[in-house]
Amino acid sequence: MRLIFTNKGRMALKEISSNKCFEGLQKVFEHDSVELSCKMKFGIYLPPKAETEKCPALYWLSGLTCTEQNFISKAGYQQAASEHGLVIIAPDTSPRGCSIKGEDESWDFGTGAGFYVDATEDPWKTNYRMYSYVTEELPRLINANFPVDPQRMSIFGHSMGGHGALICALKNPGKYKSVSAFAPICNPVLCPWGKKAFSGYLGTDQSKWKAYDATHLVKSYPGSQLDILIDQGKDDQFLTDGQLLPDNFIAACTEKKVPVVFRLQEGYDHSYYFIATFITDHIRHHAKYLNA
Amino acid sequence: MDGKAAGAPPDFHFYPMDLYDPEDRLHPFPEGATQTGREAYAEMAEEASEPGGVALGKAPRAQEEEVDELVHLYALGGAGEWGSELADGSAPCAEVPEHLPLGAQRDWRGEAGERSCPGWGAAGPGRDLREAYGYAHGRASEEYECYVIPEEEDEDEAALVFCVTCKAPVRALEVSDEHGEHEVTALDKALESAKDEVHKNMFKLEKQILEMENFANHLEEVFITVEENFGRQEQNFESHYNEILETLAQKYEEKMQALGEKKKAKLEALYGQLVGCGENLDTCKELMETIEEMCHEEKVDFIKDAVAMADRLGKFLNTDTDVEITTQPDFEDQTLDFSDVEQLMCSLHTLPAPSAPVINPQAPNSATGSSVRVCWSLYSDDTVESYQLSYRPVRDSAPGKDQAVFTMTVKETYCSVTNLVPNTQYEFWVTAQNKAGSSPTSERAVYMTAPSPPIIKSKEIQSCEEAALICWESGNLNPVDSYTVELTQVETPEASGVTESVVGIPACESLVQLQPRQSYTMSVRALNMGGPSARSDPVTVHTTGSRFPLNQHTCHPWLTVADDGFTVVRSEREAPPKEPLPGNTRFSRCVAIMGNLIPVRGRHYWEVEVDERADYTVGVAFDDVPKEEDLGANRLSWCMRHRFASSRHEYEFLHNKATPGIRITVSPRKIGILLDYENSKLSFFNVDISQHLYTFSCQLHGFVHPCFSLEKPGRLRIRNGIAMPTHVTFY
Repeated sequence: MRLIFTNKGRMALKEISSNKCFEGLQKVFEHDSVELSCKMKFGIYLPPKAETEKCPALYWLSGLTCTEQNFISKAGYQQAASEHGLVIIAPDTSPRGCSIKGEDESWDFGTGAGFYVDATEDPWKTNYRMYSYVTEELPRLINANFPVDPQRMSIFGHSMGGHGALICALKNPGKYKSVSAFAPICNPVLCPWGKKAFSGYLGTDQSKWKAYDATHLVKSYPGSQLDILIDQGKDDQFLTDGQLLPDNFIAACTEKKVPVVFRLQEGYDHSYYFIATFITDHIRHHAKYLNA
Repeated sequence: MDGKAAGAPPDFHFYPMDLYDPEDRLHPFPEGATQTGREAYAEMAEEASEPGGVALGKAPRAQEEEVDELVHLYALGGAGEWGSELADGSAPCAEVPEHLPLGAQRDWRGEAGERSCPGWGAAGPGRDLREAYGYAHGRASEEYECYVIPEEEDEDEAALVFCVTCKAPVRALEVSDEHGEHEVTALDKALESAKDEVHKNMFKLEKQILEMENFANHLEEVFITVEENFGRQEQNFESHYNEILETLAQKYEEKMQALGEKKKAKLEALYGQLVGCGENLDTCKELMETIEEMCHEEKVDFIKDAVAMADRLGKFLNTDTDVEITTQPDFEDQTLDFSDVEQLMCSLHTLPAPSAPVINPQAPNSATGSSVRVCWSLYSDDTVESYQLSYRPVRDSAPGKDQAVFTMTVKETYCSVTNLVPNTQYEFWVTAQNKAGSSPTSERAVYMTAPSPPIIKSKEIQSCEEAALICWESGNLNPVDSYTVELTQVETPEASGVTESVVGIPACESLVQLQPRQSYTMSVRALNMGGPSARSDPVTVHTTGSRFPLNQHTCHPWLTVADDGFTVVRSEREAPPKEPLPGNTRFSRCVAIMGNLIPVRGRHYWEVEVDERADYTVGVAFDDVPKEEDLGANRLSWCMRHRFASSRHEYEFLHNKATPGIRITVSPRKIGILLDYENSKLSFFNVDISQHLYTFSCQLHGFVHPCFSLEKPGRLRIRNGIAMPTHVTFY
């Protein structure tokens, strides 16, 4: 059984791998990204329902040091995706092989740490445009080449990807039907990771930082009702280290009456084991809105 | 494609061929099967050793044709009929134009195997070819299905009407000519009315069976009574008759004896006389002889003796000789006294008092709550002028106590006795009267009045989408035999609902299975020996969502339930503690109340409207949850607790004192609760924003009930009977 690939507006998509999983297909593709000016890979899961009709799309943003592989091999989400009939797309976390000086110096800045912003500082601003990639280029690519319904889209992620999911949803009211996150970085302007990344990508002007900070964005969120689900491991070292700061986000949402259910999960840490435990709940959360 | 499918009708659609890659198509005829067909056929032809080989070939071919016919007819379902042998259905239907269209196939069957597709219909040893068939058909068979169906549909449409006048189905086309004047209805309507009639007839038959059985029983009793009555008559007559005979015999004996004695007396008397005579004679003779001797004696002696003799003679002759026969030989006239016998004989012919009537057993369903209809019969030729019916209530009390007996005189053989007490047994007996007197009393029959109708406790109805639990008060002081629940689906006014009855209910409650999202009218009757009571006042039950009443027995003294039955209030003032009820049914520590949820495993959904500033707890608990503990503090309850303090909302989801760490940013005003027995889950929702809050996984070995508590003064309002909203169905 093969898919029909139409030829309109086709960007060069190269299939890297394909594996059957829960009656659907887990594939990895590579393409030339315009925003990031380099080759980018992404994972895409096509449920069995996609053989016959267009399905909603759910975007997953991974955290620091991840590639497109971590989520598709460790999270164990394919069964739920298959049952609910959702196409799940997992891009990489930053541009790769751009030969920028210093990109590989730290694990929390540069390669594998794109922070889902459009950098304005040299030498990052040419390639490090993950925000535009995730919100513009990638959806266009997916819509053109896969059986997805462009009107039904949601986003979720883990840690840095959780931050990415929250800001994409808050900066684009109405674009995403639902959003959820695992141990997200909720208030980057106040945590060490965020400060390091934003000063590197965006410079010292803190007003530019706030545009990519979920806690700040919520305070002026005008938009349509979001229903946010957040899971946080109680034994997550980064929580104790003050990198994640969910309380700030919750307080802001309470103030603005943005519906959030925040679950502090006893005994769980920051790893993919934690993600695998609750991924089904998150997928169901999104399916409720995407399949409505 | 078009050319070959010349035989196909114009609206026959082919699947687009380019959906599948060419190499994915299956070959229409697997080589092996084809040859089998050919070989088989060739073999058959060869086996025909007679010169008329063609003829023999025809015989198996006649068979073939039959098989072909069948195969062809069923070729539509070819894939389905031989399911296991079917290929994966992935044979593309583009095969069809390559195969022979229907018309061509028909032609082929009429000829010998000359065509290039011998696999078709060459029967022979059917199995291999059938495999070929099945394999080859795949999608193609569906095409045949498509092809053939239009014809069938035409026929169906044509036969869709029913002529009431002729009582036969007709094609729509024929209506105008033959049945132009006749009444015509749609086939389904006719079906329905035919079914109705059948049902009615069945009902009549059932009734008749019942009547005949009753009648048969009654006849038996009458039979027995006739035997008894006639037996009695026979006995009477026999004893009567025996009496007469005895009397006669007795008289005979007496008379004979009397006669005998008389005879004896007479004979003795006569004999006495005879003896007397004999003596007299002897004396005379002796005297004579003496005298003669005297005459021969000397003169002197003669004179002496003669004087003596003369004295003797003189005396003797003076003695009266009774020569009268004292006893007459005649037989005196004796009339026998038969008067008593006569009397006895006469009494055989006088009019007797009647024999006892037979009182009938109570006819089913002939009683009402206050009356019974008593019937009896007379099974003899007796003349009866009137009957006297007596009755008294049957009591279990000591027999020494005299119950008042009521009596009434009636002329008919039945009587409706009124003014009776419901659900009570009465003993009836009847006697018949005529001029000769009164008959013995009949057997006593017990009749029972029907019970009073029960009263349904309408405020305590529990329901869900699949069932309802209703309970009622008996309405009778004494026990009844059983109850019957009657329910009717409330439909649109034109359609009258069918009444379903649940019979033989032993207790005052019933769990009835129902259809979801309907409305039903339900009522209850009590049943006893006398028949059913009148219908109770009906209640209406809606099977949308789950409905439960609040259980006042569990209510903490500081809580009150408003008149609507669903608003729970904790007032500012703490009410004085109410008397504790026996048994631990009231919450004593947690100011809570529980509902009574219908004990049906399935999914139940209800909502609670809360005040954002109130401290409340809502959830579920088992019946036997410890009432002196807080909700959620044990293993028998699961609940969501909200506390509002210093402008902060705190939420806990408690079970066995443990709660996960949950933060909720938008405080719910309406909480939806989903209890899912099938998946062992209890979920909470913010209904207004369709937000899922939390789900417990709970082992529900028994049935749980909704519970509600207010930790501070406030109120909450329960809403139930709501269909599950869509967003809830995801959980």
